[in-house]
Amino acid sequence: MRPLLAILMSLAAGTAMFATMSGEAHAAVAGCQPEKAAEKFPELAGLTIKLGADPSTPPYATIDDKDQNKLVGSDIDLAAAVFDCLGLKHEVSKGSWPGLFPAVVSGQIDLMLYLYYTPKRVAQGDFVVYMKSGSGAIVQAGNPKNIRAEADLCGKTVAAGLGTVEEKQLQALGEKCVAAGKSTINVMTSTDVPAGFRLVGSGRADAMISDLPLINMMVKKNPETYAVGYSVVSDYEIGAAFKKGSPLAAAFQQGLAAIQAAGLQKEIFAKYGIDPALEIPAMLKTK
Amino acid sequence: MDWVYQVFGYFTSEFLWAGAVLAVEITVCSIAIGFMLGLLVALARMSQFFALRAVAWLYISLMRGTPQLLQLVFIFDALPLIGLKFGSFTTAVIAFSLSEAAFAAEIVRGGIMSVNPQQGIAASSLGMGSVKTLRRIILPQALRTILPALAGDSIGMLKMTSVASVIFVSELTFRSQQIVGQTFEFFTVFTGAALIYLVLTGLISGIQAYLEYAMDPERKRGINAAQTIFSRFARKAEPVDQPLAKPAAARLTVQQRTDLVRSLLGTSAASGGKTEEAPFLSCRRIWKSYGEREILKGIDLNVQRGEVVAVLGPSGSGKSTLLRLINHLESVDEGEITVDGRHVGYVKQNGRLRPTSGRAKARAEVGVSMVFQNFNLFANLTALENIMEAPMQVHGVSRAEAEQTARILLDVVGLGFHCDHLPHHLSGGQQQRVAIARALAVKPRLMLFDEPTSALDPELVGEVLNVMRTLAEAGMTMIVVTHEMNFARDVADRVVFFDEGEMVEEGTPAEVLGSPKKERTRRFLNMLSRDAEGLEGDRI
Repeated sequence: MRPLLAILMSLAAGTAMFATMSGEAHAAVAGCQPEKAAEKFPELAGLTIKLGADPSTPPYATIDDKDQNKLVGSDIDLAAAVFDCLGLKHEVSKGSWPGLFPAVVSGQIDLMLYLYYTPKRVAQGDFVVYMKSGSGAIVQAGNPKNIRAEADLCGKTVAAGLGTVEEKQLQALGEKCVAAGKSTINVMTSTDVPAGFRLVGSGRADAMISDLPLINMMVKKNPETYAVGYSVVSDYEIGAAFKKGSPLAAAFQQGLAAIQAAGLQKEIFAKYGIDPALEIPAMLKTK
Repeated sequence: MDWVYQVFGYFTSEFLWAGAVLAVEITVCSIAIGFMLGLLVALARMSQFFALRAVAWLYISLMRGTPQLLQLVFIFDALPLIGLKFGSFTTAVIAFSLSEAAFAAEIVRGGIMSVNPQQGIAASSLGMGSVKTLRRIILPQALRTILPALAGDSIGMLKMTSVASVIFVSELTFRSQQIVGQTFEFFTVFTGAALIYLVLTGLISGIQAYLEYAMDPERKRGINAAQTIFSRFARKAEPVDQPLAKPAAARLTVQQRTDLVRSLLGTSAASGGKTEEAPFLSCRRIWKSYGEREILKGIDLNVQRGEVVAVLGPSGSGKSTLLRLINHLESVDEGEITVDGRHVGYVKQNGRLRPTSGRAKARAEVGVSMVFQNFNLFANLTALENIMEAPMQVHGVSRAEAEQTARILLDVVGLGFHCDHLPHHLSGGQQQRVAIARALAVKPRLMLFDEPTSALDPELVGEVLNVMRTLAEAGMTMIVVTHEMNFARDVADRVVFFDEGEMVEEGTPAEVLGSPKKERTRRFLNMLSRDAEGLEGDRI
C-alpha cells in the first residue's frame, strides 16, 4: 500500500504544479481570412463542425482542472486555432477513443485528431497529416535497469498498450533478441496507457513503450517516480481524420498550413510538452 | 488521511453526478421501454403461431448473444449508412431498450409460467378475454416473480451504461476516467465514483423492496400475514377454516338460499319447469380426438331448460372433455353443439363448424359457466374479488352492484364471513364454494361442473354438494360430471353413463343407478359403491 500512496501523493503534487492554459482564439494570424468563410467554404460556413475527442488522453485532450466541463489539450487547441483561422464554428463531442474513428467514418462526428495514418484507415477516411510520431520507453526514476536503447529491452519485462503499434514492435524486437542470442522480452499488455504507467511505477514492469508526448508529460509531472529511458522518432505520420470525401479535409489543410506558417502549431506542441520537431507540413492524403 | 477527503470530494463532485444523472436517465428510459417490449416478445415466444415463436426466439438469441458494445456501435455508426442517424442519448436508449427487451422477455416468460395456467382457463370460462386475463390475473401474480430479476437487470444496466462512452455518452465512469486523465488520481476518483454507484444501486434496491411490499396481496387487503402466522404458532388459534363458516351458513334457511339464487339469476334460470320447446343444449354427433386417441365418438346429448344431468363414467371416458367442448375451451373435430340455438364461438362454413376468435365473449353472451375440479380461483384476489371480477370486467357491472351481488352469493354458499380471505387461506371445500359463487356471478343459464368434489377431503364434500343442490332447486340448468352416486340419485333429473368415448346408457337415476341395463354400467357402479363403502353415509 505504501508505494501506491506514494504514487498518489506525487501525482497530486504534480497536478498542482501543472496549470494548463485554455485554448484562446489566435486572432489575426497571417494567411487566415476568417471573415471570408462563407465565400471560400460555402458548404461549411454556418455549420457547427463536430470535433470528437477522448478527454482522458493527456496531453491531447483532457478536462480543464478549473472547469471540468471544458476541454484543453494539444488536439483541442490545434483544432480551435485552425477553425478560428478558417472562420468556422466548431464544438467538441466527448467520447472514448475506440469509438472516435467509427464515428468519423459514419459521419456522427466530422473529424478527430492525432490518428496514425495507415493504408487501412485511409481507405475508410481522408487524412490531413501534420506530425511524425515519436515513441519512447518510460522507466522508473533513476533508470535502475539501465534501459538506454531498444536493444536494452532484451530479457526485461516491458508493458505496451493493447493493440498499439508498440505492442507489435515489442513482439518483433523480442524475436531479434533471441536471434542475437539474448533472452526474449516479456511483454505485458495493458488495456489503457495510465494502467501501463502504473505497472512501471509499481515495479511490475521494467519499462513501458508508448507514445512519446505521453511519456514526456508523465515524466514531467512525476519526476520522482518516472524517467525517460530512450526516445525514437518513427516513420509513422499522424493526422486529422475526416469522413471520406468530406470538403472539410481540404479546408482544414489550408487552415492548418497557415497555422504552421505562423509557428502556432509548434507553440501549442511546446505548451503541452510535445517535441515541436515532430511537425511536418500539413498535407491532405486521400489514399 | 488526505485521501478520505479526496474521495469525499469526488463523491460530491458536480461533474461526476451530472454523469450519474445521465446514466440514471438512460437506465430508467431503457428499463421502461425494454420491459414493455420484453412483455410483447415474451407473449410472441409463448404464442401458438410457429412463425411468431421463431421470430421471438431468434430476437432473444441475437440480442442476448451479441455484446452490448457492438450493438451500440452498430446503431450509432452503421445505421447512418442507410440514412438512420440517431444522437448519442437516443442511440443509447434504443440499444439498451432492445437488449433489455430480450432479457426481460425471458424473465417475463418465467414469471408467467410460474402462475398456474388453470387460472387462465377459469378466467376464460368466465368470459374474460386473453388480454384482460393477462392484465388482471396473470401479470399481477407473475410480477412478484419478475420484479427481483428486473431490479437486477436495472442495476446491471446502470453500470453497463459506461460502455456507451464509445458513442459519446459522457456518463459516470467515463467522467471518472476523464478526471483520472487530468489528475492521475485513479484510486480516489474511482472510489468516489463507486460510492455514487452504490447510492444509486441502493436506491434501485429500495424501490424494489417498496414495490414488493406494495404488490403483496396480503398487505393490499389489509391482512397482516405476520399476525396470522403468529397466531397460528403462538396461540394455536383454530384454522381460519371451519367454525366461522357455520354461523353465516346457519343464518339462511335452505328455502331462503334457493329464493336468493332465483332472484339473483332473474329470468335466466327462473323459468324452472321443463318445456316442450327445442332443447336448451344440443350436442349432435360430437367427435373429438387428441392425436391418434379418440376421446369422444359421436356423442348425442340434449339437455332441457332447468334439467340437471349427472354424467358418470370411469376416468378417461371423455366426460370432462365433453364439458370443455360445450363451453368451447376446446374445439370439436366434428359434430355440432348449440346452446339456446347458438354456437359458442364457432361459425358454420360448408356444413362444418369453424372456431372463431372471441370465444370468451361468446361464452359470456350465451351464458355458460364452469366449475373445475381444482377450483382454479384467482390467487391474487380475495374471495369477494374473485366473484366480482367477471361481472365487472366482462359484463360492465358497476363495482357497487358487483360487490352487493358477490356478498349475497357468498352468503348463499355459506361463506359470508370469508369475503376478504385470499384463496390459499381457505380450505378446499371453501374454495370450491367460492368458485361456484364466482361461476354464478355472471348469471349463467347453463352450469357445467367438472368433478367438483373429486379434489376434496371426504369431510368437505358435503358442503359443496349442498350448494349444488340449492342451485338445482332454484331451477338452474346443470351438467354435473361426478362420482357422487347419492347426489346423482337425489338431485339429477337424468343420469348418463359414459365409457370409452361413448354414451353407454341414459335414463332417470332410478333406471340407470337402480337397474342398469348394460354390463359396463353395472360393473362401474359396483366398483364405485365398493370404493365408497363407509363414506357414503355421512356425505350428503
